[in-house]
Amino acid sequence: MKAKSENPLLAYHLFVFTRNRWRRQPLLYGAAAFGIALSYFFLFMLIATYEASLVVPLTIALLAICFAAPLMAYNLFSLEYEKHTWESLALTRLTAREILWGKWGVVLTRVAGLTLLFLPMLLVSEADSISAYAVIAGLLLVFSWGALLVSFGMWLSFKLKRTLSTASALYAGQVLVLLLTPVLYTLFTNNQARDVMPIYLVQSHSEAVWWWIFSFLHLRFLVDLNPFTTLLELSYLRDIYAFAYYDPYSERALYPYGLLYLKWGFTQSAFYLLLAALFAGLTYRGLKIAWRK
Amino acid sequence: MLDVKGLRKEFGDLVAVRDLYFQLHPGDVFGFIGPNGAGKTTTIKMLATLLEPTAGTATLNGIDIVRHPEEVRPLLGYMPDFFGLYEGITVTEYLEFFAAAYRIPKSQRATVIENVLELTDLTVKKDAYVETLSRGMQQRLCLAKSLIHDPILLLLDEPASGLDPRARIEIKELIRELGAMGKIVLVSSHILPELADFCNKIGIIEKGELLVWGAVDEIVRQLQANRVLEIKPLGDAEPLIQRLEREPLVHGVEPRNGSLYVHFAGGLEEQADLLSALIRDGFRIATFREESLDLEDVFMRITKGEVS
Repeated sequence: MKAKSENPLLAYHLFVFTRNRWRRQPLLYGAAAFGIALSYFFLFMLIATYEASLVVPLTIALLAICFAAPLMAYNLFSLEYEKHTWESLALTRLTAREILWGKWGVVLTRVAGLTLLFLPMLLVSEADSISAYAVIAGLLLVFSWGALLVSFGMWLSFKLKRTLSTASALYAGQVLVLLLTPVLYTLFTNNQARDVMPIYLVQSHSEAVWWWIFSFLHLRFLVDLNPFTTLLELSYLRDIYAFAYYDPYSERALYPYGLLYLKWGFTQSAFYLLLAALFAGLTYRGLKIAWRK
Repeated sequence: MLDVKGLRKEFGDLVAVRDLYFQLHPGDVFGFIGPNGAGKTTTIKMLATLLEPTAGTATLNGIDIVRHPEEVRPLLGYMPDFFGLYEGITVTEYLEFFAAAYRIPKSQRATVIENVLELTDLTVKKDAYVETLSRGMQQRLCLAKSLIHDPILLLLDEPASGLDPRARIEIKELIRELGAMGKIVLVSSHILPELADFCNKIGIIEKGELLVWGAVDEIVRQLQANRVLEIKPLGDAEPLIQRLEREPLVHGVEPRNGSLYVHFAGGLEEQADLLSALIRDGFRIATFREESLDLEDVFMRITKGEVS
């Protein structure tokens, strides 16, 4: 059996660098960890005490990812160029695939870790009516948005070769995609596209497919693929058990069913993960060409 | 053996390196000399497989660097002119990282690391963090990293730049030792005295063109076909100048700082005859010697100070 090849990039970034940081500046890192732990505990208590909506911890998780993911990825390759270390790395026997996985794997692991940190908060929210679908879809959405951010950041870092430019582009890009675009879309369309084909009308898988096509054709995906609006919609899924029967006078029971047919949360996650894979592929291709790997 | 065959690199209209040809054998320490912008780094990057040549190729032990870069890379060690080191790890961890990246088996890593640390005189710093090392030590660490997989060709781009005199001497000693170990060492620099000490071969490049290459002694001999003799007379120099100008092998006499610098076309026999004749004619000569060329003279005679 072929021995599993070692990836020193993954091991060093995940363990050695982190361990050494703690060893060298235990007070600084200890204080930071204590502050984060305290904030976490405070939030946890608030959510548990008030049985906050599922959307609350998910939104906090998403905000944390929006802030932290660019920090994880902004210098993945640009630092190699700025510090003149890439040539030494390129000449080793590591393949382009190993270099990519070494760097991408580290940040994906960190994104996954950060996402899972919010699982206990989700479990204590809405204690009576928690929906497994919403929890899984929400966590996957947060993770996949983080995966998209780090993959895009990795590719930008490779292309721009400048740490500061990459970090700026990542944060500015998020403001553009998450805030400005949906606001402008809503302002100009007055949300008419949604009225033409509302979610509660989707009552089959084929209708769901048409709904998504419609969303893309009317540029409504600018809102529907926004992770924050996706999370807000997920909160309706808790009603699915309370309104199990068809109620012609109420849209509330049908609305969550529409979300289920649309695979709400999972579809967006799949889209983000596809984009993440695309950026990873572009980085891989760039490594093959530029580093002659 | 490194066999460079017509290596050429163009960046748009600019020809950075023009059809280089040279061969190096194990144990050769080749000084690659040229002014800034002459094409040294471009050539080294092509040999290091980091840059694809526009035309031509080179083979290392018969393996084509253009067609099989992945096969050549384990055979070469490269130290760039601007190098960086991963920070936040110790010297040993840094070398362990590269040992793993070069697929040195785990069981051999400790010994290999110990050996390169000893060779580069860094054993006492093995637990120090990389960024705490002095510039000279970082340079040696970079060299240690380049040696960890026991390459047969070492490409060192300006290895002594930015170093203090002691660190320069240490790097020179190290390069000499590597040549003695049978490695092919290609070292570029524009500081000539430092190369003169340890190179057995040199190549002078200007405007991307290799003007001359070969054994140092051979090149000096070629350039000294027209020798310069320094003659210091006692007393008035004028009669001696007139006497020298009558000599058929003398092509010019320059009086400078009390001495006469005589451009002489003859060999050693003719030099001895000239000295005998001058003494016979009653001239009192305090100094009579042939001006020997060093690398700086060779460089100045061959190059015109142009960049590509």
